[in-house]
Amino acid sequence: MFSRRTRVLLAVLVVASLTFVILDLRGGEGPFATVRSAGANVLGGLERAAATVFSPVIGAGSWFSTLRDQSSQIEELSAENERLQTELQILTNDRARAAALDGLLRVASVGQYRFVPAEVIAVGPAQDFSWTVTIDAGRNDGIEQDMSVINGAGLVGRVLKTTASTSTVVLLVDQGSAVGGRVAGTDEIGIVAGTGSQDSLEFELLDPMADIRVGDALVTFGSKGGRPYAPGLPIGEVVKVRGTGGMLTRIATVRPYADMSTLSIVGVVTKPPREDPRDSVLPARGDVSIIPSPAPLGGDGDAAAGDEEPAPDATASSAPAEETAAVPVDEVAGSEAEQ
Amino acid sequence: MIWRQALIILTFTLAAVLVEVTLLSRLGIPGATPDLVVVTVVALALAMGPVQGAVAGFAAGVLIDLAPPGDTLLGVNAIVYVLIGVITGFAVDPRDRTVPLLMGIVGLSTGAAVLLTAGLDTLLGSDRVDWEQMPSLVLTAALYGLILAPGMILLTTWVVRRATPEVLVTA
Repeated sequence: MFSRRTRVLLAVLVVASLTFVILDLRGGEGPFATVRSAGANVLGGLERAAATVFSPVIGAGSWFSTLRDQSSQIEELSAENERLQTELQILTNDRARAAALDGLLRVASVGQYRFVPAEVIAVGPAQDFSWTVTIDAGRNDGIEQDMSVINGAGLVGRVLKTTASTSTVVLLVDQGSAVGGRVAGTDEIGIVAGTGSQDSLEFELLDPMADIRVGDALVTFGSKGGRPYAPGLPIGEVVKVRGTGGMLTRIATVRPYADMSTLSIVGVVTKPPREDPRDSVLPARGDVSIIPSPAPLGGDGDAAAGDEEPAPDATASSAPAEETAAVPVDEVAGSEAEQ
Repeated sequence: MIWRQALIILTFTLAAVLVEVTLLSRLGIPGATPDLVVVTVVALALAMGPVQGAVAGFAAGVLIDLAPPGDTLLGVNAIVYVLIGVITGFAVDPRDRTVPLLMGIVGLSTGAAVLLTAGLDTLLGSDRVDWEQMPSLVLTAALYGLILAPGMILLTTWVVRRATPEVLVTA
């Protein structure tokens, strides 16, 4: 079937191939190996040139082999990522809770309040225009109506209603909220009323001639029996004063220390201190955490702030201050705050 | 015009070898590497006839064995490709070239090349062949051969018609 020429050619080709095979099988050094490596050299050079041309294509195409690897790797990594993120969130959350509790404990120990810790579990909807939250402690935990609610930064509000296991807290900034306040370092008192906006309160001084400045701190002067507001709790800082000294009343805008939008751990004061802690619980100015030292308050060169507060350190200031000036106004506070 | 034919054969086989080892094998396509070399041998045999097919097979086999990183016995692929070139050139009647037939030839050739090379290697004492992978390798090689075949057949026919029309196999 093949022509003679074809047969010869085929025979030559097959014999040549077999010769190569046999020579290669024999292995070792020799002219054949030299020829082979020379051929490989030439082809290797050509391959390098070709590889340069094809390298962009390879880069784009190499996903073929790694496709399965990568997708399983991606799966693994995203699962791990998710787990780590959850862990991190839990950790961050725990740390925040610990910090909140820490602040609360400091307030409580400095002011010698006895409190029940609780967590905010629900917040009233904004469109209700009422600033109320629900906390996870109730009658069973010893919570009663009209107890003060604090957090690490200061006063948060008071207990409005209780159930067996939860309580409703009306926040300082609620429009219906009114707290008897005292300018720290003085005996100037007034009513701190909520405005309905989360970061401002209105402080109306009873004495129109009183000296009040931006930066002054307010603390509660306390209601009768510590209800609804225990004495000495930090309320906020004066950020604006309206009206001049001669007007009938002076009104100051106060920014509350406690951030009402991020409440988590709070404490319900079940038992106020026997004596008014005065200004000892106030945070240092410009510091978000409570530092039981009133020293920075007097640091602004204000003459009014320099005349009291015996010791700036925690042990001394946690002892009740000698002044009893708060006592006479207690009755006033009780009636005012319950409006 | 024998030199022109030789040039065509050498150019095609060399290009096929280079593309196969530098591009196709590095794409990491699952299964066998698309065997462009076999497809080229088949295409040349279809365009020029069995003798040229055999020569193309020999050249391609030697080149693919020589080309780094090839580490197989030199000549094994040459024998296999010579057979493929000759058989293809003879078996396919120029008057009976339908697309399914051509595809069948290419698929058979690429699959057979894998099997034959592995068989020869084993016969010659190599223990590298993993016969468990063989079915999937043969099937994928045949499949990729089918994919590569149309373009390569058209290309070789076109070049042969232009350069050496006297050997073009036509009906």
